[in-house]
Amino acid sequence: MINYLIVAFALTLVYFASTERIITYIRLIGLQGLLLCGIALFELSDINLGNLLFIISETLLFKAFMMPFLLSKIVDASGVTKVHRLAMPAFYTLLFSIASLLISVVLAASMMNNYVSTIYMTIALFALFTGLILIVTHRLIVSHLIGFMIIENAVFFFSLAMGSKMPMLINVGILLDIFVGVLILGFFGLRLKAHTNELTRLKD
Amino acid sequence: MNSAGIIAVFLAALIIPGIILRTKSIASGRKGPGMFQPYKDISVLLKKGSVFSTTSGSIFQIAPAINLATVLCAALFIPFGKYGALISFEGDFIFFSYLIALGRFFSIIAALDTGSSFEGMGANREAFFSMLLEPAFFILMASFAMATGFTSFTDIFSNFYLSENNFMLIFGLLGIFVFLQTAMVETCRLPVDDPKTHLELTMIHEVMILDNSGFDKALIHLGTYIKLALYGLLIFNLTIPPAWTFPVQLASFVVIQVLLALAVGLIESFRARNKMNKNPKYILTISGVAWIAFIVILLLGERFIN
Repeated sequence: MINYLIVAFALTLVYFASTERIITYIRLIGLQGLLLCGIALFELSDINLGNLLFIISETLLFKAFMMPFLLSKIVDASGVTKVHRLAMPAFYTLLFSIASLLISVVLAASMMNNYVSTIYMTIALFALFTGLILIVTHRLIVSHLIGFMIIENAVFFFSLAMGSKMPMLINVGILLDIFVGVLILGFFGLRLKAHTNELTRLKD
Repeated sequence: MNSAGIIAVFLAALIIPGIILRTKSIASGRKGPGMFQPYKDISVLLKKGSVFSTTSGSIFQIAPAINLATVLCAALFIPFGKYGALISFEGDFIFFSYLIALGRFFSIIAALDTGSSFEGMGANREAFFSMLLEPAFFILMASFAMATGFTSFTDIFSNFYLSENNFMLIFGLLGIFVFLQTAMVETCRLPVDDPKTHLELTMIHEVMILDNSGFDKALIHLGTYIKLALYGLLIFNLTIPPAWTFPVQLASFVVIQVLLALAVGLIESFRARNKMNKNPKYILTISGVAWIAFIVILLLGERFIN
């Protein structure tokens, strides 16, 4: 079952590279949260019940529901529906994404050892690269925020890749979730405008 | 029984266009034409002669026949369940792909042969989109070859379900997606192209055949119908285990082909065509999914990483 969820996660990353609508990004972030919840549920079934419940509820609450909700509120308030017109076309982003998938496999294979899960490491690197590509090639702050959240999901996979030997890493990854939640709330409080790069209130 | 594949393709090619047409008619609330209207149109076209522009050369005249011939030859390589293909050898999927590409190549140079600027534009688009689509098919077939250890269609599909690894189901689902999307692009269907469009600036395949008429046009339409049935047969081989009995396989084949036709009809009824500049991205996404299938076999199949 975990394999199905991991492949679905990889497909969402490919979809991230090919879409240009912010609402689709938000839905994909929510979907990734649900997938991560499922992966954590199946992968971490051996750890103690309290810790498992904490991880599951945190993943479900923060990643699958709260962050997409806050992001959609930010998007509603700012009126941004699509990526900036000067963002790199999705065709090239997709090319970078496919290249990053192959690089991820090679990197994960090169660091193969008994302590690291190669599958999780591959998907973590792929998510990391996808997030970075999104941040570097896009111009709107909302896209950057979403890229950061994908990287944050990558960190969760990194922690799962070494989770069997270092369970504390998973909890450290969760602390990052809470940090991102606060970051999004900060943007929410700032009442983000559609075009933050234009100076409209300058006076002589 | 090795001819079962090609017989199945012909039978499917008979019903698929009609079902697509009826689905579109019902979905749009029209009475619409009958099931066999596409073939009535083809029979009318076959009775007519072809008109050739004085600016076009011999390539334009032979291209439709070569296009149909390559599709028919390609059909000889696809098995039907446990019954192998008429022609099968190691690496035949590469030959299959290049047969289809040969037909497309002749379509492209025939369009250029007319000297029409519109047809040149269509040829340009067709070549570009094919270039983006071909990697998807090759990557997927390479993944199948790695998963099963065989390199011919007959061996790949007959051994596909012998593996008890659970990732084969993931693999199958990704494969069905890629074959379905490849069929839609190859046969000039929505959302990439629209077979009913009549605005040259937005056309891909249809603009290439603007100068074809009568008998030649009938051959082109026949080739497209058979090609769609061919991809339907590939999906069938990927979906149905060869161990099933022949009557069950036959029923499954009919169901899959009808579902394929219904899917095409419904997509064409309810979905708008992509903007032309969005098509490369759409087709590249198919390759992206094929790459994921390849990675699945590398990682989960432990072919590369132990």
